[in-house]
Amino acid sequence: MKSYIKSVVALTAICAVVAILLAVTNFVTAPIIEKNAAAAANEALMIVLPEGEDFTQVDLTKYELPATVTEVYTEAGGGCVVKLVTAGYGPDMVLMCGINANGEIAGATCLSSNETLGVEKTYGDNVKGYTVDNIDSDLDTASGATMTTGAYKNALKDALNTAIIVGGGSADIRTEEEKLADNLKTALPSAEGKFTKWFVTEEVTDVSEVYVADNGKGYVLISGESFIAVDSDGNVLTDVSDDVKSVMSANVEAIKSSELTEIDITGYENMPDAVDKAYKTASGNYLFELHAAGYGINGDKYTASGEYINIKVSVTADGKILACETVSQKETDKIGSVCGDASFYSQFNGKDETNYGDIDAISGATITTNGYKTGISRVFEAVKILEGVA
Amino acid sequence: MKKDGNLSVLVKGVLRENPVFVLILGTCPTLATTTGVIGALAMGLATMAVLICSNVVISLLRKFIPDVVRIPCYIVVIAGFVTIVQMFMHAFLPELYELLGVYLALITVNCIILGRAEMFASKNKVLNSALDGVGMGIGFTIALLAMATIREVIGAGTFAGIEIPFMIDHTVGIFVKAPGGLMVYGFLIAVVNIITKGKVIKKKEFSCAGCPSAGVCNGGCANKKEGE
Repeated sequence: MKSYIKSVVALTAICAVVAILLAVTNFVTAPIIEKNAAAAANEALMIVLPEGEDFTQVDLTKYELPATVTEVYTEAGGGCVVKLVTAGYGPDMVLMCGINANGEIAGATCLSSNETLGVEKTYGDNVKGYTVDNIDSDLDTASGATMTTGAYKNALKDALNTAIIVGGGSADIRTEEEKLADNLKTALPSAEGKFTKWFVTEEVTDVSEVYVADNGKGYVLISGESFIAVDSDGNVLTDVSDDVKSVMSANVEAIKSSELTEIDITGYENMPDAVDKAYKTASGNYLFELHAAGYGINGDKYTASGEYINIKVSVTADGKILACETVSQKETDKIGSVCGDASFYSQFNGKDETNYGDIDAISGATITTNGYKTGISRVFEAVKILEGVA
Repeated sequence: MKKDGNLSVLVKGVLRENPVFVLILGTCPTLATTTGVIGALAMGLATMAVLICSNVVISLLRKFIPDVVRIPCYIVVIAGFVTIVQMFMHAFLPELYELLGVYLALITVNCIILGRAEMFASKNKVLNSALDGVGMGIGFTIALLAMATIREVIGAGTFAGIEIPFMIDHTVGIFVKAPGGLMVYGFLIAVVNIITKGKVIKKKEFSCAGCPSAGVCNGGCANKKEGE
């Protein structure tokens, strides 16, 4: 029994003495370690804000900041550094942006990313000096890498807005989707915020997009920067000039005549196989649902996912494409899958049989691009058949 | 056991009882931290500091620590000193702290330290134990430096990060990889055996009786071996 007690006492005493020694060591070294860590962190922050000194991390819970912002540091000179996580082609593109006391970008760098081209590694070199006022208009995205650099640019805008908010000012931090939803709601309050985007099947003037109120109360037409509301009777509700009012009223008349009637395509012997469904609008235009063989499925040669590219195309009776949209696709991720982006398929808008091939091909996805173009060419054949000229 | 003189205690760790090449202790950090001379030197010195301190304290407490709890006591003392070294390194030598990484904390379980505590410090006076720590520490550091020099010069064409003309253009990459470490390790053990004519490994102190687990095992593994 005595030996047990002796063992317990010895071990406990040694543990206690060691614990005291560790506490003393920690008391001496902890402040130095903390100072070193802060210096190392400052060094990283100074890459994007070289003139910065004495950085302090900001408590994000005190502010309403853009969702992309993960860390914010302010510095003694009035500048700040913002760390953001955004998504380009791949997820988790981590960026750091330094903003000086004048609200200009002092530097930006990509800390890590999952992008395909690596443009994000150097894009930050060209962004110095931009402010929240000119970044939208003056900073270009990189050609061929619009997804990556577009996301980068938006994140920089978030960083600039964050600097304003943290500095005590106010800034618009809504996403593009939120801004659109708010603008639609403001333009036509009676729609109660519920709209459906109208797929263009009629020729409209001075309008880029049209949203139809789900409750039938009217339309919102986007013309340049303006959101113009028109009620279901064709009366323009937004305060615009009489000329614009008449144009918008005419547009709404055209939109109203876009009621679709399905055509039984089985009755047409030479109808291309690619055409799945065809509709005719009251005004005589056509809407086609079709499939194109890209890399996903292309006979025995290139069958990857085994899925076609499904496309929706509206076209006038004389063969001019009004709108084109990829409905679904299973092309190679980040290569052929670009055919699902508006930047690709909207190139066909306004094209006809003579010039539909004059579009920018998807880099590295010739088979997808050519397959898509072949699909579009079937639309022109289908229109001729339906119009009885083929 | 024949009592060695102070000088003998100090120098035996360098070659005759070199912990790495003769006692074959501390193999893990030896292989892991010898890809570069700087890391090897830092590891050697950190281990030497812990070895000296733990040897001194264990020697001081050798009569106070009951036999049945001696191993936990040694481990607490060793772990305490390792943590202290780790904290000081983190504070004052942050680059070396980052370089050694997890291997710094793993000094706690380095067989050299527990081995010397059990084989020497627990049976000898404070001065001799301190000298043993210094000698073994120097031996460990020299061993690491020898291995690191060969591996870094041949494998990376540099010495302590400084490029060596000709070698930099004729590197043999395997030397800085694990297989190269084992090759160099085996080669150096052979060299030490040639120099000492293989006598050292026959000494009783390194056999069953010298094993840190001898008290627990009571020669069981040796009996089993004989019975096989």
